[in-house]
Amino acid sequence: MKTNQPATGSETAAADLKHYDEAALIDVLEKVQQKHGFIPRDISDEVGRLLEIRLERLRRIQGKLDSTIRRDVQQHVAHWRNEEGNLIMILHAIQNQYGYVPREVAMELSRELGVKLARIYEVITFYHYFKLQPPGAHNITVCNGTACYLKGSGDLIGELRTLLGIAEGQTTTDRQIHFDTVRCIGCCGMAPAMVIDGKTCGHAKTSDLAGRVAALKARKENAA
Amino acid sequence: MKALTRQDLAALATQPAPLPAEWIRVQLDTGGIAAGAETVHAALEHCRVESHLSFTLLRTGSVGYSFADPVVEVQAKGMPRVHYGCMTPELAPQLLTEHFGAHRLLDDHVIATRRRGLKLDAPVTHILVGDTGEGSGNKTEFFQFSLREELKRRGLADRVQVVRALDMGLYAKGAVVQLLPSAVTYTNVLAPDIARIVAESVAAGKLLDDLLWKTPDKQVRIVLRHCGSVDPDSADDYLRHAEGYQALAKALFTLTPEQVIAELKISALRGRGGAGFPTWMKWQLTRAQPAAQRYVICNGDEGDPGAFMDRSVLESDPHAVLEGMMIAAYAMGSSQGYLYIRAEYPKAVERIQRALEQARELGLLGRNILGSNFSFDAKIRLGAGAFVCGEETALIASIEGRRGSPSPRPPYPSVRGLWGMPTAINNVETLAIVPAILLKGGAWFASHGTDTSKGTKVFAVTGKVRNAQLVEVPMGTTLREIVCEVCGGVLDGKEIKAVQTGGPSGGVIPASLLDTPVSYETLQQLGSIMGSGGMLVMDKSDSMVDVAKFYLRFCVDESCGKCAPCRIGGYQLLQVLERISRGRGTAADLPLIQRVCHAMQKASLCGLGQTAPNPVLSTLRYFGEEYQAYIEGGASYAKKMGRPAAAGAAAKTPPAGATVPPTTTTPPQEVSP
Repeated sequence: MKTNQPATGSETAAADLKHYDEAALIDVLEKVQQKHGFIPRDISDEVGRLLEIRLERLRRIQGKLDSTIRRDVQQHVAHWRNEEGNLIMILHAIQNQYGYVPREVAMELSRELGVKLARIYEVITFYHYFKLQPPGAHNITVCNGTACYLKGSGDLIGELRTLLGIAEGQTTTDRQIHFDTVRCIGCCGMAPAMVIDGKTCGHAKTSDLAGRVAALKARKENAA
Repeated sequence: MKALTRQDLAALATQPAPLPAEWIRVQLDTGGIAAGAETVHAALEHCRVESHLSFTLLRTGSVGYSFADPVVEVQAKGMPRVHYGCMTPELAPQLLTEHFGAHRLLDDHVIATRRRGLKLDAPVTHILVGDTGEGSGNKTEFFQFSLREELKRRGLADRVQVVRALDMGLYAKGAVVQLLPSAVTYTNVLAPDIARIVAESVAAGKLLDDLLWKTPDKQVRIVLRHCGSVDPDSADDYLRHAEGYQALAKALFTLTPEQVIAELKISALRGRGGAGFPTWMKWQLTRAQPAAQRYVICNGDEGDPGAFMDRSVLESDPHAVLEGMMIAAYAMGSSQGYLYIRAEYPKAVERIQRALEQARELGLLGRNILGSNFSFDAKIRLGAGAFVCGEETALIASIEGRRGSPSPRPPYPSVRGLWGMPTAINNVETLAIVPAILLKGGAWFASHGTDTSKGTKVFAVTGKVRNAQLVEVPMGTTLREIVCEVCGGVLDGKEIKAVQTGGPSGGVIPASLLDTPVSYETLQQLGSIMGSGGMLVMDKSDSMVDVAKFYLRFCVDESCGKCAPCRIGGYQLLQVLERISRGRGTAADLPLIQRVCHAMQKASLCGLGQTAPNPVLSTLRYFGEEYQAYIEGGASYAKKMGRPAAAGAAAKTPPAGATVPPTTTTPPQEVSP
């Protein structure tokens, strides 16, 4: 952030002002007023213009975001428009796209479908599959089906809790690893099973977990 | 693809297309892919191109050998057809050079065929050997060596190869020897027998009657008839090699809807989803309702943890399910179907989706199918992780896009179901059986099974079992036969304690009752249910209180909260169980449990609440002494059982059974706080 050493004379200001952030611009006005007792027209105009530009840019980004969301939602809705009982399928499509159901999208969906937001949330919160929080960059899911449970998925969960410092259903503070359990992934033949970033690993052992988590973290650092 | 006509189907029926002479089938279902079947497939393809071999590489679903994933099946000229289990990409080049080039099988990967021969009708080319003894020390290598030496002595060594098998399909039968290609199997072979086997069977082609294994295999594959042999992604394969859509054509052109239902009535097929309602009656009731539209729903919401039959059938033979659904629709006069499938099974969804597209292209879905005046289309609806949606009325609510809360019955869905219209909901397995019944006749189907429960049932046997796999046996097979003879008994040679059937709605059956024949009624008498077919084997180290708590917690989590007995009763029951397992239980707790369970069974709205107490009641009934031990032993006993006071906080180390002192397999320091 630019520290505020604003120009004092009206003649020097205009050229440099565009490098100042909003707070600094306001500061300039105050400093000038203190010095001169009034704000010269050209400076106030320039500051006003710059603020306006930034505001406009902000609006555009927001608008673009809104229109992307609207377009996406419209697309999903259009795909299922003529189907009865389409809400769950649309929510599936949304979750596939974003990894969760963002509030803005749910609101847009409510407008688009003409369904109350409460009814959408009623459905989202009922089903375990729909998430309201963004997922982490990496996902570790431990199967807690009965076969896996008998073969020690509890140990896996305990070990992961210690390793990651979070409980199931939570994401590490750096939003890198999301840790969750699942009812059953149908791979009971290779219990205990876990899914790491969409890849199923059978016969998982607690002793391997540290290595797997480290590998995930390393991948993150490489990416960064 | 060109739309099919009735004539095309008739032509396909009379002249089935031959398979290519040499092929490898890679079994690509979710389990196989998780174990690396895709990389095996890629490696085989790579080697095939490099070595200019002419075999065809095929993709199929799973035959059911989950314990040996990834599995490939190989057919080469002059070689017996074999399954190789536990394949790796590194083995691919070796497999091709050995099997196709040198005509030799790979050691330690062959899964012996279950279709055992009773006569030596071809010269022996390979001998499979495996020691299935319970005792210490595996003598497979010794037998392999002795057989080789004996063959050498007789100058047969270059003609006959001796191979160690991965799995012989027989257990606790001593050393087992299988002569390929006739698959004649000798059990309890001792060292002195080796010379006889080589001299008489291999050289002279005579059977050794005293060693011969004559019992036919317990398994009968009706539901799984095409699993592992047809390509689930290809309608063409299903049409050419699996009598695909012949049953539909038969129904459309030679049978009236009433006759279809009558055939189902003869077969006495009962719903395979758990409750066992007669399928024909369900169809009849739906058909009898006057309505502008009727719906067929395929229930693929296999929420029962530890069961994967439906997933396997949907992934391995999607067209059969679809065909069954179309026949159901024809019988009921419905023109719209829904396949409700768990979103957690992406592979199954993908394959069904493809099957639907292919069927539409072939004109098997749509208007005036095959030129008849029957029109039908089906759509997929995804489940979203709610166990209660396996219940009919909740499933309907979910398809309608609402919360999956059940509603009181009657009215039954067959009267007022989806969007108020008559609806029949059938399980995946039920629908997959239907084409087979129409082709082979209801009487044929009814010839399997017991008096009240006809046909076969698929079970997913998992837990502490040696070979976790899919098993399809006729009704009436005993639990012990399923667990011990088909699946090889308990892992690591431990003692079996109980078998749990029916998932969270089912109960625990103790080892002493394992000789009960499996049918809807017998299981119910034992306080369990057939359920969708999950079968969980528990050994002596599993605590029953813990198992009951696990299932109950599942039901409490999954309760939709609509009715009080389930919502409050389940929660309170769990509190009591938590208290007991922490050693804070009192003598008054056990009658309390009984009372709460009884109330839940009587007063709950849907099956989930009514059956949620089953695991608790059945463990209490058969393993009451374990509850007693917790109550009498107090906190110190609970602690000794390896369960820290903060229950569920971590480390579900398998505690020893109450009657057995704690084993030292899991040292206490592994228990994290």
